[in-house]
Amino acid sequence: MKHILIALLAFGAIAAGQPQPTSIAIRNAKIVTVSGPTIAKGTVVLRNGLIDAVGDNVQPPGDALVIDGEGMTVYPGLIDALSTWGIPVPAANGRGGRGATATPAPTVPAPPPARGPEDRPQTTSWVKAMERIQANDRRIESARSAGFTTAFVFPTTGIFGGQGSAVNLAGAKTEDMVLVPSLGQYISLTVRPGGGFPSALMGYIAYVRQIYLDAEHYKLEKDAYDKNPRGMKRPEYDRALEGVLESKRILLPANRWVEVERMVKFAAELKQPVILYGMREGFDKRATDYLKSTPVLVSLKWPVKSPNADPDDEETMKTMEVREKAPTAPQALKTAGVKFAFYSDGLDQPRDIQRAVKKAIDNGLSREDAVRALTLSAAEIYGLADRIGSVEKGKIANLVVTRGDIFDDRTRVEMIFVDGVKHLPAPEAAGRGGVPTENRQ
Amino acid sequence: MKFKQESGARNQKSGVLAAAVVCAASVFGAANDTFFIRGVDVYPVTAVKMENVSVLIQDGKIAEIGAKIVAPKGIKIVEGKGLRVYPGMIDSGTTLGLSEISAERVTVDTGELGEFMPQLRALIAVNPESEHFPVVRANGITSTVTYPATGGRGGGGGGSQQIIAGQAALIHMAGWTWEDMEINRSAALTIQFPSTAGGRGNFAADFPEEFGGPQQSYADRKRAYDQAIQRLNDFFDAARQYQKERSNNAPGFKKDLKMEAMIPVLDRKVPVAVTAQRERQIRDAMAFADKQHIRIILLQPRELLKVAADLKAKNIPVILGRTEALPENEDAAYDQAESLPGLVFKSGVKFAFATFNNEFSRNLPYNAARAVAYGLPADEALKAVTINAAEIWGASDKVGSIEKGKWADLMITNGDPLETPTEIKHVYIKGVDIDLTNKQTRLYEKYRNRP
Repeated sequence: MKHILIALLAFGAIAAGQPQPTSIAIRNAKIVTVSGPTIAKGTVVLRNGLIDAVGDNVQPPGDALVIDGEGMTVYPGLIDALSTWGIPVPAANGRGGRGATATPAPTVPAPPPARGPEDRPQTTSWVKAMERIQANDRRIESARSAGFTTAFVFPTTGIFGGQGSAVNLAGAKTEDMVLVPSLGQYISLTVRPGGGFPSALMGYIAYVRQIYLDAEHYKLEKDAYDKNPRGMKRPEYDRALEGVLESKRILLPANRWVEVERMVKFAAELKQPVILYGMREGFDKRATDYLKSTPVLVSLKWPVKSPNADPDDEETMKTMEVREKAPTAPQALKTAGVKFAFYSDGLDQPRDIQRAVKKAIDNGLSREDAVRALTLSAAEIYGLADRIGSVEKGKIANLVVTRGDIFDDRTRVEMIFVDGVKHLPAPEAAGRGGVPTENRQ
Repeated sequence: MKFKQESGARNQKSGVLAAAVVCAASVFGAANDTFFIRGVDVYPVTAVKMENVSVLIQDGKIAEIGAKIVAPKGIKIVEGKGLRVYPGMIDSGTTLGLSEISAERVTVDTGELGEFMPQLRALIAVNPESEHFPVVRANGITSTVTYPATGGRGGGGGGSQQIIAGQAALIHMAGWTWEDMEINRSAALTIQFPSTAGGRGNFAADFPEEFGGPQQSYADRKRAYDQAIQRLNDFFDAARQYQKERSNNAPGFKKDLKMEAMIPVLDRKVPVAVTAQRERQIRDAMAFADKQHIRIILLQPRELLKVAADLKAKNIPVILGRTEALPENEDAAYDQAESLPGLVFKSGVKFAFATFNNEFSRNLPYNAARAVAYGLPADEALKAVTINAAEIWGASDKVGSIEKGKWADLMITNGDPLETPTEIKHVYIKGVDIDLTNKQTRLYEKYRNRP
């Protein structure tokens, strides 16, 4: 027994890169708590994976490994509020696109095209992201090196993609990483070609509507049966509806302002707590007016002109306006009092994410609000502000320590703490990934 | 003579239309392409109007126009009092006779496969019995340029994009056979100029790349574009080499239909109708024409105004599409399509109108009319559907105006043919009085008489 424990500890230490002290204290550092005022020079004490103490007159305990934070800034670990990090990218829909040798291996015959909602098309509502996450996904290390310690990862294929899981971005295996198994249901209304129902937006919306009607009925039937099964035919098990009933909130897509209005009304009709994601036209008053108490996730993938566009093509004013104004959406949402967080939307290079956030700052968002949108606001939107999102006593010890302001170009991430375990940024963190970012400058 | 049986049979059947066809009936006598229009106002298009004059049509051609001419004995006489005579209109671009129902593959005979097919002639594929002809004729349109379509749509699809689809024909819109209908069998060689557009108009274009949308990079498309232009030039160079060998009677010379079809083009006897949309495409097409020393006609050039001065300088005519059209994009002026012809006229570029659509060909005069409301002089609008087209398509000695010696492709109306309330009383093609009943009038009568 003891041997196993030692072995496990040793393993953890290897994973973390150095022996783990029971307690760590970072002193003389600037501490951006997010939940409260910034501490110009103070100490953070971590113990048992939690924040044990934070303040300007906190003394490092005797057993603590003390890190001198002189010239450094401590932030809460960043949170990607809607992520796919860790879920393997299916080869079929990777960069190859249409025509590439991208058909999935023919081990399973393709299902026949769906004829209607009864066939539960494009639905994997029962899947939880944590079941799909691979701890060794290179994007996890890459994101962590950029200061991300938590991601709300969702399965995003299909209409009902599945349930998101909150995971910390470090761990030898996925189970170590899971904070919350189910955050809510990811719903996509992107019309995809390919046979079967639904094939147009009206079908997509009608399908989602039908699923919630079915789920309501299913629940009544099940409850009645559970109360008094004798003499009653058991309700047929429907995993699609089980998955929907398990989800405590839904994520709906809304990029254009009309979609904001549509989706807010739709969620009310479905009687589901909702988070809207996308928000490309979040700068538009017609969008913010509708939002009020609805929280939103703003994509950090700002619209850009397609590199494949013909240089002679004249773009419409609308296209150019949206491209120009999309990065002003965060500040507009802030001004309107809408709760918002950022999400990576496919970006996984630290530098790309950093630039994207910088763009919002350059378009009027304060640095404080930018940090908040990537930390506490994200936690609040998912109801996890009691455990992550700020540097507060009792919260999970997820921190990022930098030299310089976190979104500045020259800033270096010095170290990252996940569950109180210290990690160093990957040596070549800035340039990892398929395309060396240096070359693109 | 040629249409006697057909027209007669129809007249008997359509008794309900007796009032409408009473004049037509009176024309049947001896030869049905010889008659005399008395006391009518003539709008020759190429000259000022002549009021209260008579027109003698003999053997399908205009023999005499004047106030003092007398009707030969025994000739059929058409009373023209209070009516007007105009030349029949010409639609400078359709696939009439080649395509019946575009959605029905077996009725579409517009195209072949293969990148360069100059030897193909649209004329011989024209179906004189097309239901479209009577509908279009009823509005006073007597001729059209019918194009072999590109892209192999009629040839089963697939394969590489066609660049040279074949020869467009200028035809009368009536005749027993295609031979009867011919005005100019080689009105133009058609070239679909290469394009860098990727997936424009393709349904998949709206999808992101991972769902089958456009994914080819611009650099790749540009390379393919440059290569296609190179192949086009190579093809012309080969044709020129062939021509040289042919005239020198070089040993081992082998006759080749493709190359034979190119010779009139190289000799500038047959122009090339080029489909080019964007400014760069148009300029590249003009450079190509200069290099190959050929005559070109531009079809529906979208960015025409950007190159108008050069087109004028090089004397390149253009065919304009429908003015009853939406602006190209949401930022364009609401009257973009309507105003274009007036602006083109001001720039001095020669132009004619086309509908580029069989179903809307009958609206040709209203497309011209709309341009008038937006700045095109009315007489120029009329020219653009008559004499300009005849000149552009190499048939100004045969059709397009009311002049001695031309085919009697005419319409008799009670007003300006560009005005919608105007009634077309008679249409003559090669002097034959055309029965104006058609599918639309038959349906009209059928449902009017519904119990």
